[in-house]
Amino acid sequence: MSYDFNFTFIWNNFDVVLMGLVNSLRLAALSIPIAMALGLLLALIYVDGHRIGRGLVAGYVEVVRNAPLLLWVYLVFYGVPQATGLRYDREVSFVATLSCYGAAYLVEVFRSGLESVPRGQIDAGYAIGMTSPQVLLHVRLPTMFRIILPALSNSCISLFKDTSIAMVLGIPELAFTAQWINTSTFRVVEAWMVIVPLYLVTTYAIIFALRRLERRFKVA
Amino acid sequence: MTAEPTERRTFLALSGGGFAAGGLLGTGLISAKEAAAQTPSDSLLRTVLERGHLVVGTGSTNPPWHFEDEAGELQGLDIEMGKAIAFHLFDDDSKVEFVRQDPAARVPNILANKVDCVVQFMTVNGQRAQLVNFSRPYFLNSVSLLTLADGRYKTYEELLAAGSNARASILQNVDALAIARDALPEAEIMQVDTQANVIQALDAGHVDAAYMSVSQVKWLRVQRPDRYFDSGASFRPNYFSVALRQGDLDWLVYVNMALTNTMWGSHSQVFDAAYEKYLGLAPPDRKAGFPYFS
Repeated sequence: MSYDFNFTFIWNNFDVVLMGLVNSLRLAALSIPIAMALGLLLALIYVDGHRIGRGLVAGYVEVVRNAPLLLWVYLVFYGVPQATGLRYDREVSFVATLSCYGAAYLVEVFRSGLESVPRGQIDAGYAIGMTSPQVLLHVRLPTMFRIILPALSNSCISLFKDTSIAMVLGIPELAFTAQWINTSTFRVVEAWMVIVPLYLVTTYAIIFALRRLERRFKVA
Repeated sequence: MTAEPTERRTFLALSGGGFAAGGLLGTGLISAKEAAAQTPSDSLLRTVLERGHLVVGTGSTNPPWHFEDEAGELQGLDIEMGKAIAFHLFDDDSKVEFVRQDPAARVPNILANKVDCVVQFMTVNGQRAQLVNFSRPYFLNSVSLLTLADGRYKTYEELLAAGSNARASILQNVDALAIARDALPEAEIMQVDTQANVIQALDAGHVDAAYMSVSQVKWLRVQRPDRYFDSGASFRPNYFSVALRQGDLDWLVYVNMALTNTMWGSHSQVFDAAYEKYLGLAPPDRKAGFPYFS
């Protein structure tokens, strides 16, 4: 069976495709910092906090990580408003969901990093009169980030790819654009032949930038 | 010249035999399978008959067209039409395999020969008709708006008057925005991935109205009169047809025959029962005589 390729519609609407890519990057740029901040906070509670706090963080991680992101997206956007009466738009809903989902994975990354900081460095900080917040800010966190940078890079790339889930809420990111091409023209093959390489190129660009950062701050 | 009596008797006997055979066929005493037409071997009609069952692509999440009951069995008007085609092929409406598929897969699955036909509330339009053949229509649909019984805007007039303050959800579709703007030119439109989520968006308060088929509005209003309201909007009439592979005239003609016979002919009792059960509508008035039907 031969297939008649026709990319005309895609090239004529390539600006829409690029806008989809921009929206994907925007969702990732909003979600990743929030996920990192929340993940770090939860990791600190887990490592330094009371056992009740540790239990709550462990419970959060287990529940969130063991359900697909798609279900969380549906639950937060459709379920929570019906149960609580809260109202928020779909981008706020998706960014919040992806941030909380990403944080559940980043907790483990940050936790392992915090626990890997050499005890001697921490003791040295206390020895020169630093307070606990100062030791955290000037000793533990900088060392932790250098240690976890490879794992953090991988998490960031995963979160960028997870922005494709936003298409189910009709947010016009890159995967939604592919679906739009498909439903407009039924050119399934051509749509994905263009969109998949865009994901690949963007992902490799992010990997390249992060790897340079890793080499710059590599722990000897 | 007057025919000889013996020749006339022979002629009448043969004619009577012909009428009898036609009557037997029409009443089903000779099965459709046994009387199968001499179709070319590459026609899907021949393939389906030799396979012994029909493969129909349809959905499972859109009542009253295709949905699952408590036992997980597919129900709905599309299911009844699929069974009706199978009945005409095999004298047995159970000789059908329903392949559950996403609406986005309706055309691709036909093109990839994964199904023999698609009966999945498929609107006929020019773009789709370039890729598939459409049967004769089996439903004249229109687009309507479902609102909440306690919503801030209930009727179509109220939604229209609300202008850009009104929000509405619609299924992602090639014509989605154009359809939406036809009814509510200024409203904020949210395109979502499934018809179920179009309603969920209304239930969750993200929108004031949900675009859907007039059949779905009637279905939901019957199911939950306390929750939902029929805004009264009706626009963009469109046909639902069965989608078939292009280049197979015999298969297209056969499916058309099955649908016509189901809606207007000897199998219409099935059609009438389905209309009443799923839409609450009375069957059409069928006058015998001149075969005028849409």
